[in-house]
Amino acid sequence: MGVLVVVALLFSAYRELAGLGPVSGMNDAYGWGIWKTFNIMVMTALGSGAFAVGIAAWVFRRKKLFPLMRMALLTSFLAYACGLMLLGIDAGRPWNFYWIMFPWNWNFHSPLAEVAVCMSVYALIPLAIENLQPVLERYYYLTPRWRPQIAKINKVLHGYAPWIIGLAYILPMMHQSSLGALMLLAGQRVHPLWQTPWLPLLYVWAAAFMAFGCVAGTTMLCCLIWKRPIDREVLNEAAKITGWLVFGWAALRVLDITIRGALGTAFAFDRFAGVFWLEMLLTVGGAAILWRSIRSGSLPGMFNGYIFVSFGGMIYRFSPTTLAFRPNPEALYFPAAIEVFMSLGFILLGVCGFLFAVKKLAILPAPMHAWYDMANYARFNRPDIQLTGEYGTERVAAGGAQRSWQAGD
Amino acid sequence: MTNVAITRRELITTIGKATVPVAVAASLSVEQASAQALPVPPAAVGLLYDATKCIGCKACVAACAEANDTPPDTRRDGLHQAPTDLNDLTRNVIKLYKPAKGGKWSFVKRQCMHCLEPSCAAGCPFQALHKDPETGAVRWDETKCIGCRYCTITCPYHIPRFQWVGFNPRVTKCELCSHRLAKGLKPGCTSVCPTGAVIFGARTGLLSEAKKRIQDNPGRYYQDRVYGETDNGGTQSLYLSAVPFESLGIPELGRESVPERTLKWQKRVYQYLALPAVLYVGLAQVIRKNFKGYEQDAHEQEKKTGLRAQL
Repeated sequence: MGVLVVVALLFSAYRELAGLGPVSGMNDAYGWGIWKTFNIMVMTALGSGAFAVGIAAWVFRRKKLFPLMRMALLTSFLAYACGLMLLGIDAGRPWNFYWIMFPWNWNFHSPLAEVAVCMSVYALIPLAIENLQPVLERYYYLTPRWRPQIAKINKVLHGYAPWIIGLAYILPMMHQSSLGALMLLAGQRVHPLWQTPWLPLLYVWAAAFMAFGCVAGTTMLCCLIWKRPIDREVLNEAAKITGWLVFGWAALRVLDITIRGALGTAFAFDRFAGVFWLEMLLTVGGAAILWRSIRSGSLPGMFNGYIFVSFGGMIYRFSPTTLAFRPNPEALYFPAAIEVFMSLGFILLGVCGFLFAVKKLAILPAPMHAWYDMANYARFNRPDIQLTGEYGTERVAAGGAQRSWQAGD
Repeated sequence: MTNVAITRRELITTIGKATVPVAVAASLSVEQASAQALPVPPAAVGLLYDATKCIGCKACVAACAEANDTPPDTRRDGLHQAPTDLNDLTRNVIKLYKPAKGGKWSFVKRQCMHCLEPSCAAGCPFQALHKDPETGAVRWDETKCIGCRYCTITCPYHIPRFQWVGFNPRVTKCELCSHRLAKGLKPGCTSVCPTGAVIFGARTGLLSEAKKRIQDNPGRYYQDRVYGETDNGGTQSLYLSAVPFESLGIPELGRESVPERTLKWQKRVYQYLALPAVLYVGLAQVIRKNFKGYEQDAHEQEKKTGLRAQL
């Protein structure tokens, strides 16, 4: 995996020297290749967990989802960071990006300006700050002499938390919908099954259920691999929400297509209709599997459901720019090998980051007793770590704290 | 909190409530603006291409390359300047439409249409593609372009082309020879056309000339119509043709310009960022309330178990 990342970075250097043509299959008709259409359009949708799970937890008070939050924040941050890196490489004249710092130079009505500005601000400010929490926590426990400072930082962060969290929802809402608005300007060149004034809404909606699929699916996979217990209630809640999101999205989409009178094209025997039915089958079928798994309690079923839903959503987000984009009849686009390597490399960079973070920080949800185990582990195996406060041995031994440790005191 | 006349929370909510109507008004004002016809730049110039007069000599293609100081595109056979389409070396191209079944055929000259409301400029994130405020030519600014290639996606006429090779790629498109206009010269293509198939002039003059030709030659032109008078909100390159414009590769887009039609809601929602700002304040208020509840729960949990709550 690391090798592939290094290969991708080397190719990036080559691309900067040689230009986009030699490394990619992009051409005059398909000006956007998989770096934009897959690594940005699709991967940031999968990485909208911090937005979708967060908004369900914080705004709609789905408290059961809190254990998934850290997973959501981490996957989001990595998806965005790696996507933005590749976006910088994909841009032909990246040195002109400095204009992003001068708002008077933005084209306020351009969806792309909106995406570029919002995405960078979102990933670098609110998302990064939200992700600071597990990092601070690690130092808080492992480096006791930093505790007062960390407590101070935490106090400040907690004070501003609602504003930061709010920013972390409004910005993705804006740029995920603007990603859809990008293709509005392409007009007739996008197939009528996808081209609709509702594209922004459908895009942000698809991002929401894909994000649930990604966060819950990744959590399940991690728990499976590292043999951790899974909290069924949390997963059921997430699956229920995902199911509703998918059904609402599919209903809106079909309704919109019917009202626009484009339903006929769905029954034409061509690749567009095929892709359309594949999307609908995967998302709606996946949601049905999810719902059935809630009732039957089948975890493999639930996992498969998430895979189907996310995969359907991924195809949907990919389609308007690529599969359903028809600049002219004879134009073709197929990614070149180097292009695929780089796309994969930057995704794997995110995966590496994920594995590193998950092993170093407290990201995965854990049942309470796991924390006691950890305290015991630390006491016996790492006596060099001075555990005080709530992890103080006497406290754990006593089965609970008498005094609560608070940031300020 | 100390006992002041107005709490911070009250202040924010009051401001928030006051901004809602302002934001809505700002968003609605866009509609009024777009209801009017598109403004035409004061010194709007353009091209009039009459396909029935064109003999396909391609002198304009060579002249265009010369005027713009680009090397001739001989990549096809290493010998002839024979671009098959617009590309990174070709701002202007002559194509032939000849149906296999027979019937009317025609040459067509393709270059930038210089729309009154260009899609490329509407999408360009940092205003690298912009409309010249005087002449109305759609120009490219190399100091602002980030090379995102969104213009190649949005242009309904598929005009801007990206240079795929090289570390410093450029976007190539007809800029109406703005550098020549500044010197008082005509665009390269119009200065060499032997039959006057493409002429240069003020847009109003070209429009009346085109209409005069239609009047003088009834039945000669497709639909007796000048393409570009109102199409796509109006363009500064005007077309006359005997065959349908669509068969020449020029799509029928309707009277409303593409950005106007497709970005209606986008413009409304982002007007002065008013609606997002209001939504943000509202969201933050809800989150604040929920955050307090969460902290309380966490506090109780901490007391009970001795474990520090996570965020």
